[in-house]
Amino acid sequence: MPMPTIIADCGSSWSKIRNLDVNEVLIVPTRQVLADESIRFDVATGHLARSRTDRYENELVALAQGSLKLVQEDDFTVVDIGSRDTKFVRFTNRKLDKLDWNQACGATTGFTLELLGKYYDVDYGKLPVSDQRLPVTCGVFAIERIFDSIIQGDSAQEALAAFVHGVAFNVHTFAQKPDRLYVSGGLCANRCFLDSLWKYCEVIPLGREVLLEGLY
Amino acid sequence: MLIGYWGVPPRHVIDRYRRKHPFDEFVDLDLDLSAPPSGLVPDAFCQIITNIVDNAVHLRDDLRLIIGAVGEDKCDGGRFAALILEDLGFEVIETRNPATERKPISICTTDMPLAEKINRITHSVVVRNRKRFKWVEPTHGFWGVPPHDFELLSLFPSTTHVYGWTRCVEAEVPADLSLELEVDAHVPTVFYAQSFCAKNALAKHLAEKYHGLYIDCDGPVTNSVLAKVAAFIKLR
Repeated sequence: MPMPTIIADCGSSWSKIRNLDVNEVLIVPTRQVLADESIRFDVATGHLARSRTDRYENELVALAQGSLKLVQEDDFTVVDIGSRDTKFVRFTNRKLDKLDWNQACGATTGFTLELLGKYYDVDYGKLPVSDQRLPVTCGVFAIERIFDSIIQGDSAQEALAAFVHGVAFNVHTFAQKPDRLYVSGGLCANRCFLDSLWKYCEVIPLGREVLLEGLY
Repeated sequence: MLIGYWGVPPRHVIDRYRRKHPFDEFVDLDLDLSAPPSGLVPDAFCQIITNIVDNAVHLRDDLRLIIGAVGEDKCDGGRFAALILEDLGFEVIETRNPATERKPISICTTDMPLAEKINRITHSVVVRNRKRFKWVEPTHGFWGVPPHDFELLSLFPSTTHVYGWTRCVEAEVPADLSLELEVDAHVPTVFYAQSFCAKNALAKHLAEKYHGLYIDCDGPVTNSVLAKVAAFIKLR
């Protein structure tokens, strides 16, 4: 199989595009990719890339293969938190042991975090970790809880920090409560989320390019 | 005319009505026959039982009678569907199939596309399969009931063995829980149940026990379920 040149991970909100010739990664809103029909890839993952690529790879396969490239341990768990969904893979003796993709319950929590952060102008890098934890069933229910919390007198910062804590708790539970958890996706840049997750396990962020690593 | 049925009625009941109405055609009401929604069952409900009710209502003018499984071999949903349809004026012959004598199986364990395997097994409820198929070494397993959406089955290699209730159907023992629990521990197996079905508890439990993949689906199979199954098959 020839070496690809342009590979992409087209998520619901953000697309990560890597040019392997110059090893540069471009991160653009997926809506820009959708708007320009001339954009095509050699290999890609993400449902939205299906019609734009010569070779398509399933996101869980990309996550699993990328994780194996980036993590050298024999037994480990990686969770990828996207805008719309959460995926995890667990390896035992470097063989896939368990996987799951949570798209219905817990849906759109990543998107909700980004949306509310912008709406309330909250910097997650500076937001203190909360001991309170909002129950997070999905993004829509979470917004209702956050609004309730603010109506009852909490600040937007307190409400959002409790929401972030709730997301972290759910992610840890969804990934089968490992002692150490590798994290993939945009939330690797969210310090409040990572610190909240630290309440439950050791956290090692892998960045946003794990799925790209699994494409070649 | 049509004779509707669901589940796995005892063969002697099927044969009795076949003799009585030799020109009638049997139709499996469990299947997706593209009937419009009848609105008679809740939205969040087992799609297979929904199919039974919707299909019966849609085919009402052509259905002479319905043979419906209402025992342990089916589920409470089957029992309640019979009640609903009787209330609507259908003639429902309620059956219970406690058969314990396992007939030899060969469709479940042969080299054949999974959808074809399951079609042959469900068809054998009405016309007994007399052909013996050659055993193949299993590369993967599919545990569960025939799904509402067969697209799911297209992902599996032809060397997939069938376990669970579908295997019980081929063995003509639909209430045989011990056979339903049998799997090959070394074979990577997908444990499937229809959403809102009590079998989800079994599927999840067995998936944990044998390091398989547990999935459930409501109506049409979703992209995330297809991706999970594809990844599991590729990576295990």
